[in-house]
Amino acid sequence: MIRMSKRPLEGIRVIDSSYVFAGPYATGLLGDLGAEVIKVEGPTRPDFTRGGAFSGLLPDNEMGADPWNRMSSYNLVNRGKKSVVLDLTRPEGREVLVDLIKASDVIVENFTPRVMRGWGLDYPNMKKINPGIIMVSNTGYGRGGPYSAYPAQATTQEATHGLAAVTGYADGDPSKAGQSYVDFLAAWTIASAAMLGLRYRRRFGHGLWADIGMYQLGCYNVSEYVLDNIANGTRGERIGNRHRQYAPQGCYRCAGTDAWCVLSVRDDAEWVALCRVIGQDALAADPRFITEESRRNNHDAIDALISRWTCTVSKIEAMERLQAAGVAAGAVLDGRDLNFDPQLRARGLLEMVDFPQDRKMGPRRPLLGRPWKFSASPLAIKGPAPAYGQHNHEVLREILGYDESRCAALASAGIIVDKPVKPREVPVMGMDKRVEIGRLAYWDPDYKQKLGIA
Amino acid sequence: MLPATLDDLKVLDLSQGLAGPICAKILADFGADVIKVEPPEGDAARAMAPHHGDEPHPEKSLIYLLANLNKRGVRLNIEDAEGRALLRELARQTDVIVESFKPGYLAALGLDYAALSRENPRLIMISITPFGQTGPYAEYENEEIVTYAMSGIMSISGLAEREPLKHGGMQSQYEGGLSGVVGVLAALTARDMMGEGQYVDVSLQDVVTSTLVIHQPMYGWTGGVQGRRRLTGSNYGHVQPCKDGYFIWQTGGGAEWSDIIEFFGVEALKEERFASVAGRALHGEELDRLVLDATRDRTMQELFRTASEKYHMLFGVVQEPGDLAQCPHLEAREFFQEVDHPVIGRIKVPFRLWSMPDAPAVYRRCAPLLGEHNAEVFGALGIDPGRLAMLAAKGVI
Repeated sequence: MIRMSKRPLEGIRVIDSSYVFAGPYATGLLGDLGAEVIKVEGPTRPDFTRGGAFSGLLPDNEMGADPWNRMSSYNLVNRGKKSVVLDLTRPEGREVLVDLIKASDVIVENFTPRVMRGWGLDYPNMKKINPGIIMVSNTGYGRGGPYSAYPAQATTQEATHGLAAVTGYADGDPSKAGQSYVDFLAAWTIASAAMLGLRYRRRFGHGLWADIGMYQLGCYNVSEYVLDNIANGTRGERIGNRHRQYAPQGCYRCAGTDAWCVLSVRDDAEWVALCRVIGQDALAADPRFITEESRRNNHDAIDALISRWTCTVSKIEAMERLQAAGVAAGAVLDGRDLNFDPQLRARGLLEMVDFPQDRKMGPRRPLLGRPWKFSASPLAIKGPAPAYGQHNHEVLREILGYDESRCAALASAGIIVDKPVKPREVPVMGMDKRVEIGRLAYWDPDYKQKLGIA
Repeated sequence: MLPATLDDLKVLDLSQGLAGPICAKILADFGADVIKVEPPEGDAARAMAPHHGDEPHPEKSLIYLLANLNKRGVRLNIEDAEGRALLRELARQTDVIVESFKPGYLAALGLDYAALSRENPRLIMISITPFGQTGPYAEYENEEIVTYAMSGIMSISGLAEREPLKHGGMQSQYEGGLSGVVGVLAALTARDMMGEGQYVDVSLQDVVTSTLVIHQPMYGWTGGVQGRRRLTGSNYGHVQPCKDGYFIWQTGGGAEWSDIIEFFGVEALKEERFASVAGRALHGEELDRLVLDATRDRTMQELFRTASEKYHMLFGVVQEPGDLAQCPHLEAREFFQEVDHPVIGRIKVPFRLWSMPDAPAVYRRCAPLLGEHNAEVFGALGIDPGRLAMLAAKGVI
């Protein structure tokens, strides 16, 4: 096979005029795929991941002079981009964006429809500026429909798009998922819509507009519950970690701190195998558990028997012994385990990203790569996320052809800036305090040694 | 008629269950001619609950219906030599193959990417499997809950006081389908530009881990590890009960803290200790209690509308599947598609994931019955009716 030397999106320029996770992550991934991505933010409106609730943590929890450039989640989703900070509330700033749109292939944005229309940058105007542009709009609810103008964010949408209602311990309250769930459905959808748009342009000669509403994506992922309601009138109950059919299935406490292993028994043969692993061969013939239905009916009793065994072994040993016997089982991996799991390591999902010394990030940090392995286009994160406004001059001069005096004028008028006028709040709190109030479960002071990045 | 972005493509969907089939279905929605190839016993999804009328009939599987709209279907035994020959014949004319077999299965049959691409170098093939094709766990047995545990997401889902909690349904499968489309389109882009097909290997563990953009980098930044939320003091991390259901709120959106105080109508929230992000985290337990007291007599719908429309807050209410089935917003977005199924009858099905007015997802046909298009598809390969009948009699098709 001929090795393709180029990445799939080499030569494609993408404007990331979006905030938080969905758009920034989508465009970060398009960057991994070879696109040149230019992130556009505002002087009083730095990305939400540069501080506040969504930003994660600072390197070694140290504030430094420019915390907005060093937050963990910001640096993950914005890898490999160029940063331009542009005051879009002023006409001179929008003029620069219009020039950038003329020179680009894709723009991803998540402003409210009202803002884009007000700026004359809704799709009907956008395509007059550049008929070839592919515009991907990602909002909470999409255009049209009664909720279209409602503000939205993944945490609150988890409830509204139906996932919380079917997630939860049996007989308990609805539960929210770990974090910003629907953003990631949107991230992949944005990336797909952009590539569909590019292909549409290759075939038919002009761009298009994709209108993504995250709510709709979240609802799609509970489709079988919705269809079950439409067909059979079922309400969709919360069953915790159990399965509507297979039994036993659950999450069991193992030896160690907050250590757990899940397992699922999908037929009678796996039940016999499970009984053998937990040292209870006689159970396999016990009439209380002999059929799947009887195991569902006596699930609590089975759970107690399984836990008696799992408590005596580590989560990894439990997983390995169950899998060796052909039972579907997995250790519950936490944020530390993800760095050392042999499978994720073999797949190379986490990539070490090197930071220049002046970024004060430490030399390198591990970041999520991509969930796709391409046989002919091996990919890697291209480089670190940019500092705020780092590429103002480079982009304006090299891409837009502005001369130095024009750049200087824009800078002195505050149209382009490289320091937030209004930085987002970064909570100051010691690591031990974060553990005490439950924001973290624990922390490893020697994590750098463990990761080999000291 | 509007142009369809992928109507020049032929796709073989050899996958089963939900992840691979959803990936192939989305390609079909945008115009690809997708042939679903099922083994003699049918796609495993046909046996998965829920079924229409709760009747475990293979043509009444709602998951199969959902994930296989817009495809034609054949029934083909690829464990038989003649069946393999037919598949190779189909693969010669195919642009994209989607598959989800256990790693090594297709290679053992001489139908892996290396073999099929020799005769068709433009072929793209994507495998969507629990752990991918490589690594020490590639052969591990899997179930949704196992992917969830091993992707890290379960460790932060549920309550600190209790066991980690899986999300409802089959989220990793839907995620694998959506993410798989990105993989196919990237390979297709490369092929359009450079002429060669390639193989794309997707692991559901990688897919779900990829969603942890807050959780994952914390360790590499500070050594910090998030756990599950505490029951109290969660500071709007949980749903909270109101008069007739549950709601959840967050700061941000278009609302200042003062707007939020006015919405809840609680004087005590004006105190200095609640004014900052850090202060609210520190005094989360009391914040929760104040909000709870203020909302116990308000309904979900009123809270949702007032918070969203008047105060521009980030606000959600816990909707159940029945609420989604009746949702006016989903109707306005044309989320549902009415289909006429020969066995189930007329039913509306979740269909459209997003809107693209110039080249939209278009509904063209219902999910295929098992083997529905055998004659049509194999006939188009030039196989005469007599031989088709013989292959059917031998159980090859």
